[in-house]
Amino acid sequence: MRKFTILLAIIFLGGLQVAFAQTKITGTIVDADNGSTIPGVTVLVKGTTVGTTTDLDGSYELLVPADGNTLVFSFVGMVTQEVEIGGRGVINISMAQSATALDEVVVTALGISREKKSLGYAVQEISGDAVSEVRETNFVQSLSGKVSGVHIRQSNTLGGSANILVRGTTSLTQNNQALFVVDGVPINNNNTNEDRSIANSTANQNDGWGGYDYGNTAMDINPDDIESISVLKGAAATALYGSRAANGVILITSKKGTKSGKGIGITVSTGLVLSQADMSTAPQHQNKYGGGYGPFYESETGDPATDYYFFWTDLDGDGVKDFITPTSEDASWGAEFNPDVDVIHWDALDPSKPNYAEKRPWVAPENGLEYFFQTGLKWNTNIAFDGGNENGSFRLSYTNSDETGIVPNSSIKKNAVNLNANYNFSDKFSVDASMTYSNTKGKGRYGTGYNGLNVMQSFGQWFQTNVDFKRLEDNYLRDDGSQLSWNSGYYDDLHPIFFDNPYWVRNKSFEDDTRDRLFGFAGLNYELTDWLTFTGRISLDNYSETQNERVAVGSVDASYFSSFTRNYNELNTDLYLKFNKRVNDFSFNGMVGTNFRQNKISMLLGQTVGGLVVPDFYAISNSVSPVSVVEDLIEKGTNSVFGTFSVGYKDFVYLEISDRYDVSSTLPIENNSYNYYSGSLSFLLSELGGLKDLSFLDFAKIRANYAQVGNDAPVFSTISTYSQGTSWGSNALFSVNSTLQNADLLPERTTSIELGLEMRFFDNRVNFDVAAYKSNTVDQIMPVLVAPSTGYTRMYFNGGEIENKGLEVALMTTPLKLSDFEWNIGINWYTNKNEVLSLYDDVQNLLIFSAWDVTVNATVGQPYGCIKGTNFVYTDENGNTEDADGNLLTEENGSKTVDESGYYLVSESGEEIIGNINPDWNMGINSTMTYKGVRLNVLFDFQQGGDVYSVATKYGQATGVYEETAEDNDLGNPMRDPVDEGGGYLYPETVNADGSPNTTYVPAYRWGRAFYYNNSPTARYVFDASYIKLREVSLGYTLPKKVVDKTPFQNITFSIIGRNLAVLFKNTKHFDPEAGLGSGNNQGIEQGSYPVARTFGFNIKFGI
Amino acid sequence: MKTIKYISIVLILILGISSCELPDNVDPKNPVEVPAGTLFSNAEVALVNQVNHMSVNRNISRLIVQYWQETTYFDESRYNFQDRKIPDTYALLLYRDALMDFKETKISLNSQELQLAQATERDNKVHICSILEVYAWHCIIDAFGDMPYSQALLGAENTTPAYDNDADVYTDIIARLKVAVAGLNASEGSFGSADFIYNGDVALWKKFGASLLLRLGMRISDFDATAAESAVTTAIDAGVYGSQDESGILYYSGVTPHVNTIYDGFTIDGRKDYLPTTTLVDKMIELGDPRLPLYLTEYEGEFIGAIPGLDGAQSYNNYSHFAPRFFEASFEAILIDYVEVEFLLAEAAERGIGATGAADHYANAITASVIYWGGDETAAIDYIATVPYASATWKEILGTQKWLALYNRGVEGWAEWRRLDFPILNVPEGMVYGDIPCRMPYPYDEVAQNGANYYAASDAIGGDLTSTHVFWDVY
Repeated sequence: MRKFTILLAIIFLGGLQVAFAQTKITGTIVDADNGSTIPGVTVLVKGTTVGTTTDLDGSYELLVPADGNTLVFSFVGMVTQEVEIGGRGVINISMAQSATALDEVVVTALGISREKKSLGYAVQEISGDAVSEVRETNFVQSLSGKVSGVHIRQSNTLGGSANILVRGTTSLTQNNQALFVVDGVPINNNNTNEDRSIANSTANQNDGWGGYDYGNTAMDINPDDIESISVLKGAAATALYGSRAANGVILITSKKGTKSGKGIGITVSTGLVLSQADMSTAPQHQNKYGGGYGPFYESETGDPATDYYFFWTDLDGDGVKDFITPTSEDASWGAEFNPDVDVIHWDALDPSKPNYAEKRPWVAPENGLEYFFQTGLKWNTNIAFDGGNENGSFRLSYTNSDETGIVPNSSIKKNAVNLNANYNFSDKFSVDASMTYSNTKGKGRYGTGYNGLNVMQSFGQWFQTNVDFKRLEDNYLRDDGSQLSWNSGYYDDLHPIFFDNPYWVRNKSFEDDTRDRLFGFAGLNYELTDWLTFTGRISLDNYSETQNERVAVGSVDASYFSSFTRNYNELNTDLYLKFNKRVNDFSFNGMVGTNFRQNKISMLLGQTVGGLVVPDFYAISNSVSPVSVVEDLIEKGTNSVFGTFSVGYKDFVYLEISDRYDVSSTLPIENNSYNYYSGSLSFLLSELGGLKDLSFLDFAKIRANYAQVGNDAPVFSTISTYSQGTSWGSNALFSVNSTLQNADLLPERTTSIELGLEMRFFDNRVNFDVAAYKSNTVDQIMPVLVAPSTGYTRMYFNGGEIENKGLEVALMTTPLKLSDFEWNIGINWYTNKNEVLSLYDDVQNLLIFSAWDVTVNATVGQPYGCIKGTNFVYTDENGNTEDADGNLLTEENGSKTVDESGYYLVSESGEEIIGNINPDWNMGINSTMTYKGVRLNVLFDFQQGGDVYSVATKYGQATGVYEETAEDNDLGNPMRDPVDEGGGYLYPETVNADGSPNTTYVPAYRWGRAFYYNNSPTARYVFDASYIKLREVSLGYTLPKKVVDKTPFQNITFSIIGRNLAVLFKNTKHFDPEAGLGSGNNQGIEQGSYPVARTFGFNIKFGI
Repeated sequence: MKTIKYISIVLILILGISSCELPDNVDPKNPVEVPAGTLFSNAEVALVNQVNHMSVNRNISRLIVQYWQETTYFDESRYNFQDRKIPDTYALLLYRDALMDFKETKISLNSQELQLAQATERDNKVHICSILEVYAWHCIIDAFGDMPYSQALLGAENTTPAYDNDADVYTDIIARLKVAVAGLNASEGSFGSADFIYNGDVALWKKFGASLLLRLGMRISDFDATAAESAVTTAIDAGVYGSQDESGILYYSGVTPHVNTIYDGFTIDGRKDYLPTTTLVDKMIELGDPRLPLYLTEYEGEFIGAIPGLDGAQSYNNYSHFAPRFFEASFEAILIDYVEVEFLLAEAAERGIGATGAADHYANAITASVIYWGGDETAAIDYIATVPYASATWKEILGTQKWLALYNRGVEGWAEWRRLDFPILNVPEGMVYGDIPCRMPYPYDEVAQNGANYYAASDAIGGDLTSTHVFWDVY
């Protein structure tokens, strides 16, 4: 490899001969509409990477190589202009606003700015405002609907992670999240809970059994510092980043200082955002019956309305037995609400309280679930200083945000400082550096999954609908500091039995966490000649985080404290030689480079065992039994060389090839290197003779590419080690690791092809970009779940192939354009079809994850994320359950079948395919209207298809908590009435085994006979996750320059913003169809999710 | 000048590459080698935990054979195995955690070059592993019938192990057990403190092995009387338990997580999910069993059980609960004990294989049991007088009394109930007697992970149903 590098260096350095003179050009750029200057315009010498941006006053200064004869001015939202230099030293231009810029310059891999038309692959760019204006805590969420081919799934927890998939799932079991790169620095985007699986310790939050979603760490990127975001979708666009970028790259360019030479510019932006629970995405409780599992208790009254529905004793001492809520029960199949029945409720059972044994009517509570959710508040302030002179510039920015969530006692505080600086020591030699420090402090993040620390588990699945939420809040603490829960063991045993009081959970058993992060780079550039530049950079991403989790003494679960510390470090050393040259009609550019990457992650998890000795004292040493400590240390590295070479002819056709060679430490030494490459072609049809003359056609380009990318193995997957259990006294316990490693692993490989067409019509009033692609990933490295009789749970193998095929359309139109008014509509539509073509050997199924009776799988012949479980039995009118070919009938050609008792028949096999987590398509429609300084932006987000299995619905119906368990049946009678009295529930549109219509009512009462999951196939809880959401509305007003000039400010912008304002359509009654457990491959199961936080706020931004 | 610059850049490139050594890909925080005793400890604890566990996610044998009933969430008491994939966990924990670690212990031991006394000690260790392996295997076969055996535990060498005939597995494990018992040499030690049952006492392990051989011999007595007799006589000749203090009992350390399963579920987790059944309580009241107050507490002056398999909730507060000793953190788990041996000898005598004096063994068994649970000998003698041994109805008498004595030992209680067909259990609401499981369904993931072999095995045993009998359950 060393020889190879020397050779490359000699080849490119050997060509150096002549140095060219340069000329300096200056100028100012103004907005054609209002004459105000435009800062941040990119000025580029055409056909080169030589360029700059305008400063706050809209002026620029540029050294142009002697052979440069055209300048390209571009700015997001403006028509790009090309201006012949023609020997001038000053070039001032005015730019017009436009829906699209014709000759956009976009940022591509390794931060290289390229004319978009020269690219043979898809790149979609959005401005930093698109994410900074709306102020999502995790800015990744605000990409939803804005880029075609990028699928975001949000979690509704405060500061939770966002799953980001670009062009579908490519790796069966490894990371499928897009790579984030900020100014050339790869930013780790792990979700720590998923990452803990590397340690043989804590269960994944992502598996749905509890834990907190600490967010994916890309959220440390501060939206206020983002200038623009470039999304590189296919392997051809990302190949230079190597294997880690196989899932697409979100390339972020941060804001830089400007070289105005006029001192320091200060920009201040401050805003307040309120958030509220969208209750249409929360569980819908019934309000007709109260707590209990049915008539199983003590009250012997002879009245069917109360008989056996309550605990029954003389609590107030008046000699008459009192009804007492059956507090030990976490369901709502209890007595019907009746204002004439007086009951001692859960909150009147504390003998030390004045309300002991107080009776209240048995009625629906005044304060339901909506009371629990509070208004969240977020203050965000950013101050940026920037300035510079002809030799250099800097930008220093500070952001503070302070946020509380919709769930009590939750907050996230963030502070971030970003410094960007560059300096030219000479015409040839410059240095630049960037550094971002951020500190995030979380407290009371929302518990998740099937776990008592997730209050939604109780609210959505196990609850008494007679419980008043204000009373929960007022009574959760007893005088002695112990807990009072709605769900205590008995009227004289107030220890909570299954569920804590949710206010106890939030106020006593909360987590806290902190993360300090430093990332940035330092680099130097040397122009060896005017067409050849050497760049050396070191970039660092380093963070340390601590997560403290607690369960208070007196909770349902054993008291507990754990502290998890993780230090992450990634160091990249890059050396590049970039070249850029025109020879007659040909333009050449490209680079060769090397990259050395080193990752080091150390983790330490300390936990108390057996409970806490001293209540409310949270230290690991405060442990009843000897503490548990889990340690992990991961080091990995890759060494790479790569190069890319692009040639253009007459700005008409461009060809680009690239190659990368990686050596990875995680692969077996004999197979640890792999090479991959890409080629792409861009062809400007509109330059062809016949098309060039069409007046309505402004631009047409076709592009094609082929790429191959390799991927290494998960760390430590080649050599087996023993895992340690908890010692027994002084005896250590070791066990054979449940995963069998494999010393013969090969790198994974993805190949992709892509075709694209871009066209613009009618003075750019209509334009579109269509891309079609296909990618195949082979030799997948997967820990296959194996039969337990092998002695292992999982074994690592190479094998399998996944195919992704997709179509992406980005359409921009300007339906209306008047002198002061412009209306633009942008539509991003995309679809991705995924299929698992094969797995290892004869294996037909790879379990991704499971919950209760449902599994999410990679199954041969099916899309990745195939939901399996028991299905309905479908019968046609003749009583057949199979068609002529012996295939089981489906809802297309049969009806759901019931047994003779009227309950659903359940398929024999528990492996029926009952859903697919992948949407059919997604779409974002963005409408922007501008009138003078006013800008109204509305974004709708659509998803068609994609299934989700709801654990909450399964239990929420079975426990009688949900609305549909207490409705009237189709006879108009309460379905909870006995069947022989006209009650009961008739499964809708069902048939008997002989195909005749079902007329058998089943009892609704007693552990939810009608809704009981054991009477039901898994398929009953699979829901279509389609939605239409009003994702974003923002209204901005920039004060006219005339007005601003009379103030001490340079510019002032007001905006009002709203996010997640409404779910306009969904098929899921009790939860947000988008809600997942967090980022990662475990998708498609809803497990006690939180309602959507609807946000509104305002922002003021002004420059001094 | 220019040349110097170029040369320096080339040098930087070269230096950059050569300075980047890749790290090793070996996990620095988990060992590649460990002492054999640490693997044995883990395997022993894993085996006892799985056999003894009461978690509805792991082992519901106490519910199946109606010692216990769930209170509010009663699916498992109504034999729902699927929702929690209980068979998968049951198989996983025995194969992966117990058997695999015993196997690894033996591999580690056999890789050592040793002399004389050390070799004897090593051989003892290997034999003890074999005895406990046999224990794990019979628990697997008893639960499922045919299961992977000869092709099991081979890792990547065989990712889809075929199922072996259950009777063949028994033949093999009985043979292995005979070798192990014969091979133990009490003149040398074994695992020492790494063995939490006998602290490495080889003489006691020999009795454990012989008693287990007696159990296995009796278990196949309806299926193959000859093989049964061979096993029983070999066992008795080798020396089975002679008193309760020799029994194979693990006393938990009482330090989390090494605590009794009831303490874990009720005290640590604070749950109240289980009640004794009417099947148990009513039978003990009917017989005047002196162990009733030792097993259970009273509710409002009476012993009240919950209805087994009721299709409805039963409130924890309104029934008898488990006696206090069951809630102790270090409360023991029994693998095999003297009480059981005496019951087995009584049955062997009744069947005329290898023993005599059925009534005496029967009385010894009950007496030892009553004393073990804290009763006195007089009470035991009085009780035996009311439930005397009767050869004519030996199955009912032995079955019922053994079921009562095996209280809190679901796995063995369920097996012996299936074999002896007594006592008559209650039929859960809406079911018939035949719905009470005679085996566990195969692990649900087998369809996906080992499909061809699963279907073959399912056919071979007469269907993967809970009503299918394992081979020794002839009647």
